[in-house]
Amino acid sequence: MMLAHVIRKFNLLILTLLVLSILSFMLVYLFPGDPLVNLTGLEDIDQETYQRLTVLHGFDKSYFHQYWYYIRGLFDGEWGLSFSSGLPLANEIAQTLPASIELSAYALILSLLIGVPLGFVAGFQHHKTTDYGLLTASVVAYSMPIFWLSLILILVFSLQLGWLPLSGRISLLFDIPHHTGFILIDIFFSDLSYKGAAAKSAFYHLIMPTASLTIVTAAIIFRLTRRSVIEVMSSTYVQAAYTRGLSGFQVVMRHGVRNALVPIIPLFGMQFAVLLTNAMIVEVVFSWPGIGSWLIQAINQRDYPAIRAGMLAVSTLVIMLTVATDLLAKLINPAQMGTAHAES
Amino acid sequence: MALLDIKNLTLEIEGSNGWMKALDKVSMRVEEGEIRALVGESGSGKSLIVRSIVGAIPENFRITADRMTWKGKDLLTMSDMERRLIMRSDITVIFQNPLLSLDPCATLGEQLMESIPGDLVKAQWFWQRAKSRRQMAIKLLHKVGIKDHRKYLKAYPHQIADDIGQKFLIACALVSSPKLLIADDPTRGMEITTKIQVLKLLSRLNETRGLTILFVSHDLLAISSMASRMTVLYCGQTVEDGKMHQLRKRPLHPYTKALLDSAPSFRKDLPPKSPLAALDGTIPTLQHLPIGCRLGPRCPRAQKECVKTPELRHVQDHFYSCHFPLIRDKQ
Amino acid sequence: MPNLDLYQEEFHPSPLVHTWLEFRKSHIAVLGLWLLAFFIVLVILGPLIAPFDPLLQNPNAFLVQPAWDASGSIRYLFGTDSLGRDLLSRLIYGCRMTLGISLLLVVISMLIGIALGAIAGMTRGVRSSVLNHLLDSLMAVPTLLIAIVIVGILGIGLVNSMWAICLALVPQVVHNTREVVRAEMQKEYVLASKLDGAKKFHLFFYCVLPNMYEMLVVQGTMALSIAILDISALGFLGLGAQPPSPELGVMLSEGLREAYKSPWLIALPGSAIFLMVLAVNVVGDGLRSALRNRLQN
Repeated sequence: MMLAHVIRKFNLLILTLLVLSILSFMLVYLFPGDPLVNLTGLEDIDQETYQRLTVLHGFDKSYFHQYWYYIRGLFDGEWGLSFSSGLPLANEIAQTLPASIELSAYALILSLLIGVPLGFVAGFQHHKTTDYGLLTASVVAYSMPIFWLSLILILVFSLQLGWLPLSGRISLLFDIPHHTGFILIDIFFSDLSYKGAAAKSAFYHLIMPTASLTIVTAAIIFRLTRRSVIEVMSSTYVQAAYTRGLSGFQVVMRHGVRNALVPIIPLFGMQFAVLLTNAMIVEVVFSWPGIGSWLIQAINQRDYPAIRAGMLAVSTLVIMLTVATDLLAKLINPAQMGTAHAES
Repeated sequence: MALLDIKNLTLEIEGSNGWMKALDKVSMRVEEGEIRALVGESGSGKSLIVRSIVGAIPENFRITADRMTWKGKDLLTMSDMERRLIMRSDITVIFQNPLLSLDPCATLGEQLMESIPGDLVKAQWFWQRAKSRRQMAIKLLHKVGIKDHRKYLKAYPHQIADDIGQKFLIACALVSSPKLLIADDPTRGMEITTKIQVLKLLSRLNETRGLTILFVSHDLLAISSMASRMTVLYCGQTVEDGKMHQLRKRPLHPYTKALLDSAPSFRKDLPPKSPLAALDGTIPTLQHLPIGCRLGPRCPRAQKECVKTPELRHVQDHFYSCHFPLIRDKQ
Repeated sequence: MPNLDLYQEEFHPSPLVHTWLEFRKSHIAVLGLWLLAFFIVLVILGPLIAPFDPLLQNPNAFLVQPAWDASGSIRYLFGTDSLGRDLLSRLIYGCRMTLGISLLLVVISMLIGIALGAIAGMTRGVRSSVLNHLLDSLMAVPTLLIAIVIVGILGIGLVNSMWAICLALVPQVVHNTREVVRAEMQKEYVLASKLDGAKKFHLFFYCVLPNMYEMLVVQGTMALSIAILDISALGFLGLGAQPPSPELGVMLSEGLREAYKSPWLIALPGSAIFLMVLAVNVVGDGLRSALRNRLQN
């Protein structure tokens, strides 16, 4: 029964990825310009090379063939070249995507660590001052436009107080070899003499972008958790547990936590898209070299192959994460309750 | 000495027009070892009585009573801690709709074993505790008639039948060997076969262990087979109180008579295609409670006197509160 | 005339009135409603109130401080920007643009989303379930990404960014509508109508839709806050509204250059966006609580 569910989700995942790849293939035709140029990223090609490329990518045959060659090329690592830099796209994405993932991951972990416990606290103190205070703070936090929040942080902490660096990922003095793309891990595993200073610099550069992302995301997670906890605590079985004589602590730990968390895990999964959108905006404000600022540059420079490849990479990542979270929720929840109670 | 002694319990709630009496001078005595039934329509305040005994009344209610004692100790003035201790060890409650009272995410075994209090297993080493908890759980399940304990200990609430669920809740209730079991409409919505199972279990527990049961319901069929004494409640007022067979044979209050009449199986002389007997009208809302005897507007025997609330009178140990009881009517 | 309450009539308000009464109980929600109403008035009466033309540049008055600063003047209440344009007028027109466009987008996307969601909810079968799962997966794609792709195809500009945000809002509406429609279709009153011979069209418009209003309103407020944030984000990034348009996001990105000397250039437009979104969210929260309380009582 469980296995059937996993297989079904997997099938849907494959189906979705298929549709995504078809869409990204269609972009080759939808973007202005010559489709072949869009596909390969090579501009100014002469007749001979053009003919060769036409055969290579199957453009003399039907759309289906072209699509097939496209997919094959994707798996081969042949993602085409960027218009603006002329470099292979696979490399550029491999460089920038980890930076975004690093930023988002830190922000997500922090948001969970802040949002979930506070959500529980507020839920248990429903209708009391703590609850109202936290709720107000959360509404303010997630009503803020994230670009404005980042700008204010920069104004205050960088320009006025001078505590934190203005932009970038690490001070330009340092040159960290690229292994995984996650800067803190790379620093740790490299054998540079100035590891400590580099790590400190990277850490300082991380603080503000992560902070602005965390504030907004933690507020959303807080609200989701709080709503779920309130619903669980007012349910019949919790009241029945109280009358059975179980103490407050026991009721909370045994029944409250599990029942509150289970329905909101899929909702957390849906927040990945929001998190990534906000991360991309934050990257632009802080000039963080992630895929968000790369894509924005690409669109300003009309770098169509880059947009196509970037879109495919990011969507694939987000969808896989969402499906994984869904499966995780089903695994933890033995009762297979499908509906989620909580709204945000 | 009576286990539970309630005299003139009044529960008032604040509404837009002042204080309204949800329960008006309710009196009841539960003796040890008996099965007492508390009968009334929906809205008569049965659940409120259960909740006042348990101590789970919301804050905007005001409770007053001449006497409300458990084994001699006053329930109204004791502290929360004491109340909770009593709730845990001496009085237990089971509610309607057993599946709602169970945590959907935990197996039955887990829930049963966690209700076993620590002091019953304290005397052993901690690795033995889990095992002895499990053994106690199995014993309890057998006692309530769930034979296949291996299957049910591992099951989740949504996988079991209603009657097994209710029996399971009774098992949870029996953990602390209580003196009084309050059953708040436990067989509501159950089919007759499952209902019979649960009721049989309750009578068996009463016979073998001397468990006192307060059975709150509006299901006359179930009650008449089990209970020894019955209290009839109408709209927050005790209307009649007496031995079961006496009430059946000779109800003194018009409402009791109407209640008994409305269950077709009590009447032997019902002609075919005749309308079922019922009182006209419905239960009044809290905002529009009649003065005096609350059955007044609906009662077929009502007269001018009924504007004054009748006091509780008794004929031997058969209590009634009516100005014009059915004493002189032949059966 | 004194209110003669001779007969203690039971007061049974209609669901709408009931919701409003519950809503009124929360003071914060009512405050939010006032704030929102203020902004809507601004949208409608904007051109009449603004003292200057938002695009009018005054070369004699670059970066004038706001009126509360020593060197400011009452003429330019909020000061001017680097091209001498009055900030107050730009703010008013900016709110007008941002809020007005967001409202329009929400209406359009709700119409499309409800239509699609209703069809998805009322039909069954493998095809529809596959479609549903695809739409759900579409929700997982970040809105900014969709915006970038569409802007890439159609080009930079306000109208294209509007299409993008519309497209990004629709899947959420479809998802929620589908859930509600499916839940309502299981209920017995729909079955009763079906047995009476109602066709699907009739079922939807007369049975299901009236019960969906509340969900729709809540959905609408959430979509509105997302739309406002997205429109201004796209304007800020240069993908949506373009300078010299007084859109709030654009004003923010323009003011970046002079932010150190004149912080109000980014503080004021940002606060405007923040207050609008805050008002919408507070009203949305209040509505949701009111609906929940109404259903419980």
